[in-house]
Amino acid sequence: MLLECTIRHDGANWVVEHGTNSISAPTLEELDRGMERYLKEEGLLKAGEKAQVFMAFDNSTIPQWIRQYSQHYFNRIVEVKG
Amino acid sequence: MAEPNRKWYTGMTTQEDWWAVWLGVGFFFLAMVNIFGLDLVGWMTYPTKWVFSPPEGGKGAIGGAFYALGKKYSATSKGFYSGLGWWSVVWSYVIFGAAACIGAAFMRWNLKKFLAGWTIIYFLTIATWFIGHHGFIAASKLDMEKYGLGFALSLGGGGSFILALIVGLVIGNFFRGFAGYLSEAAKPEWYIKTAIVTLGVKLGYLPIKLSGMSQQLGEQATTLTFDLFVAGAAATIVAYLIFWPGVYVISRKIFKLPRKTAAVLGSGISICGVSAAVATGGAVRAKPVVSIMVSALVVIWAVIELVVLPGFFTHVWPTTKDPLVAGAAMGMSVKTDGADAAAGELMDSFMRNKVEVETAGATVWPEGIVTSSAVMTKVWIDMFIGLWAFILALVWVYRIDRRPGERVPGSEVWHRFPKFVLGYFFCWLFLLALYFGPGQTGAPEAAPFLKSVKAGAVPVEKGMRKLFFMLTFMSLGIITDFKKLKEAQFGKMIWVYFIALFLFIIPVAILIAYLFHHGMKIPNIAGF
Repeated sequence: MLLECTIRHDGANWVVEHGTNSISAPTLEELDRGMERYLKEEGLLKAGEKAQVFMAFDNSTIPQWIRQYSQHYFNRIVEVKG
Repeated sequence: MAEPNRKWYTGMTTQEDWWAVWLGVGFFFLAMVNIFGLDLVGWMTYPTKWVFSPPEGGKGAIGGAFYALGKKYSATSKGFYSGLGWWSVVWSYVIFGAAACIGAAFMRWNLKKFLAGWTIIYFLTIATWFIGHHGFIAASKLDMEKYGLGFALSLGGGGSFILALIVGLVIGNFFRGFAGYLSEAAKPEWYIKTAIVTLGVKLGYLPIKLSGMSQQLGEQATTLTFDLFVAGAAATIVAYLIFWPGVYVISRKIFKLPRKTAAVLGSGISICGVSAAVATGGAVRAKPVVSIMVSALVVIWAVIELVVLPGFFTHVWPTTKDPLVAGAAMGMSVKTDGADAAAGELMDSFMRNKVEVETAGATVWPEGIVTSSAVMTKVWIDMFIGLWAFILALVWVYRIDRRPGERVPGSEVWHRFPKFVLGYFFCWLFLLALYFGPGQTGAPEAAPFLKSVKAGAVPVEKGMRKLFFMLTFMSLGIITDFKKLKEAQFGKMIWVYFIALFLFIIPVAILIAYLFHHGMKIPNIAGF
């Protein structure tokens, strides 16, 4: 299963948004654990299954004046096991 | 929300990088319609030197200070374009303004603010371009008598660039409210990327131009551009391998900066400024604020380099003895595309004037070759950023952070690839194909065909390119607020930057440029 989300940084936390839901954490490790919990709680990931979470970076985190120099920060793919 | 880069084609209509390609290549195609006998670009405006009181029979009437390039170069509509004169300034404002507004609309900028900013920046640019072409500033020692002058600063077109930068800096630092008002249209990177696409036209047109003087000169120019291409790549690879580890070690060992900050700073100082700082920040998964701080430093220092290096390279070392070493070193030393291309263009003007005066007119270099050498190394550096950031991401994700389950998508290389480079190479190769194909490598039989190509290429590589360079200088000044250095808590980073740049990067850049570019000769077109 491939789940598409966006990721941004609000100055204190990394924030992943999936539809109207969001998960936030100060570090990427904690964020990934939060993502795993979210997938299980929402029933999107069952025991023994694997899910790939594609996190596309929301460029609004980068100020407009910098975007003229570079329009990409990073995209991540995280594999989560149920 | 700003659009995330999800697919390979994301951003084609919404990112400045792509819009530099659309503007540059769009006007290039318009120019190439000349091959079919229709001149659609002869209206592009260009300044010429002027004085208040031209001597009798001499040159420099104010009425002719701006002219449409079609007046000189059009193969089909010289009569029409001759009549435009100063009106070419308005034609250029309307047509380039409309094209820029279409881009701004697609990029979802505030169109009203953009148009107001564009209008003010454009006419300020034209005013400085005009003043900078006064004979006292621009005339060379060899032709000042034609303007009835006993003395001239001999800055060539460089005087206009310096003026534009000064006017921009005054606005950016003393009229901050006004600078803020102009900010929607003060986009030096967009303008310079567009100018670099048209520099591809310049590079491709060079053999065509010189073959009009002699077929042998055309062949020399072709060989030189290929040499620059290969030497630029080699020098860039060597620079990457020396610069990045060097700055990383300086940051870590001497200044004790954290690992991620050292990595971002290392890329910002040693590779290609803001783009590399952002790419590396993303690659090592640093908080965006680290890249943002380094980017602010890069922009300020790049402007300082732009002011200092062209004069230094022209008059101290390597001087006119090795102009292409100087150009390549500039490309490796100045850390934003805008400041590098602008510095290269400034140095191009300084070097050509100097060599003409030194040899009493026996040596004349075609304009733009020194700029091309500065931009070529920078273009290679830009192209490698994506690959370098990808390697760093692999090292960080799999070796340093070792987060279970995380994977680095290969598409990252493409998302970080500078798309304007595609326009630059496209224009260059298109013109080379015309030169080697129907142009018969400059053979006299192909002269009418090459003349029609010239009628299209010149307004783009000369008029549009110079105008966008001027817009870059002006915008660069407007967005450069030196107060940022004082306000922000950069701490040690300022000193890392200063020491790494002046004591490590620039000397090593000159050395590497020397190794790969020493001995390359610019064709002498004196007497043609």
